[in-house]
Amino acid sequence: MDHAPQDTQPPLIYLNNAATTWPKPSEVLEEVANCLRQPLHEPGRTTGNGSMDYPSAAREALAAFFHSGPAENFIFTQNATDSLNLLIHGFVKKTGMQFHAITTELEHNSVLRPLTTLEQEGAITLSVVPFIDNTVSLAAIEKAICSETRLVVMTHGSNVLGSVQDIRPIAEYLHANDIFFIVDGAQTAGHIPVDLSDIPVGAFVFTGHKALFGIPGIGGFFISEPDAIAITRQGGTGTDSRTLTQPFEMPMRFEAGTHNYPGIASLYAGIRFITSIGQEAIEKKNTDLTRCFIRELKDTQGITIYNEKPDLPVVSFDIAGIDNHEAGFILARAYNVIMRTGLHCAPLVHERIDGGKGCIRASFSYFNTRDECRVAAEAIREVAWSADSQVRSD
Amino acid sequence: MKEYVLDEPLTEGFLKFLVNFGTVRSFEQLRKPYFSFEKEQFISIKGFLWESNVEVRYKKEFQDLVADYFHLLLYYEREGEPGIAKLKGVEESIRDKMKIRLAPSDGNSR
Repeated sequence: MDHAPQDTQPPLIYLNNAATTWPKPSEVLEEVANCLRQPLHEPGRTTGNGSMDYPSAAREALAAFFHSGPAENFIFTQNATDSLNLLIHGFVKKTGMQFHAITTELEHNSVLRPLTTLEQEGAITLSVVPFIDNTVSLAAIEKAICSETRLVVMTHGSNVLGSVQDIRPIAEYLHANDIFFIVDGAQTAGHIPVDLSDIPVGAFVFTGHKALFGIPGIGGFFISEPDAIAITRQGGTGTDSRTLTQPFEMPMRFEAGTHNYPGIASLYAGIRFITSIGQEAIEKKNTDLTRCFIRELKDTQGITIYNEKPDLPVVSFDIAGIDNHEAGFILARAYNVIMRTGLHCAPLVHERIDGGKGCIRASFSYFNTRDECRVAAEAIREVAWSADSQVRSD
Repeated sequence: MKEYVLDEPLTEGFLKFLVNFGTVRSFEQLRKPYFSFEKEQFISIKGFLWESNVEVRYKKEFQDLVADYFHLLLYYEREGEPGIAKLKGVEESIRDKMKIRLAPSDGNSR
């Protein structure tokens, strides 16, 4: 064989933005550094001249960004998974009796695992609504509702198929029927405009480290009906410290202990970055990148794209003749193209689209370029063409 | 899973040796010639020819028995043909231990 050793790595192409966006805007990195340069401004605990109250500023930014309020109803958590656990378990605890819950096949394990755990414990009965043409319709949800239904938990955007669910009619129907609706916006927040003034959700969950350009470790949720959720965490809040139970006041009701200040600062700066560029401009660029990538790959023999018209910059595909983990390994190590392979923590979607074997997912962000799309697609084509290579065995 | 950095790159000779012990898949037309090796109940290997980094995954059930298997492959490859027979012998003794472990207990053991 005449292959010579190759010491030089091609430039990194990062297409794993649906997991965590990278790189972060310089404004975000600078804000995190600023946050850590000065003493923390902790209202009710420690304040000083010149320190910034990042939690309050970020809450205001979130309220403006999602067109909803009051700002105190935006609660900080570690991430979307943390938010969903707090909301789902808090709702069950508050309800205090067994009820029927509904979710969908499109969900991430951050929804499926808490609900399944509660089902196994006998706290709820659970229906999982199938998706058709990559989406879950109001009709499908309606069909699953029974007289004991109290909760629907549903993703806004699929992390595998890139499809956005039309949550407004679903939210309106559930609201009218007094069914609490938790929307997992982990994949949509920052990618598409979300106007919560127009969608009557019970709670909307987001994470900071994806399309909101924050750093890992910060997320949160907006809650329109705080009384629907039991308090499941207790601790210091810097307020009403004589009382030995958790304050009822928002946002302290759901936030105990010292905040993740660098994370909140990054979220604040991420939202400011998106606002400065314009959400429409970001969405337009992401759509362009996604279309470019799909165009490059869709006619390649051996490549199956699971949704050729995603609403989000997410493209899941399979390469025939090679295990997707192997393909991911080759693309990362030989081409320096980083994507995510496997089940993407969404096992039920994969059961439907690929029999549960998993696939490869490319996901784009504002900082990707068309050139990167083309170079990555060329690398994927090379792997696909090689996948029918000889198999030698003993 | 372990990632090893060897003191010299893997060669095609090593791949030819591996063929005697399991399934080798190779993708030689790629920018870097990739290969994988799969040996049921033992280990799997992923890597690139002419590179010294290699990823080795051990089968969980028998991890203690096969922990040295990758090193044995490297060691016996140097011996050429005689190494194949020797490693097959070692492999047999590992398989015997696997069989003992898999055998149903007679219920009298203390």
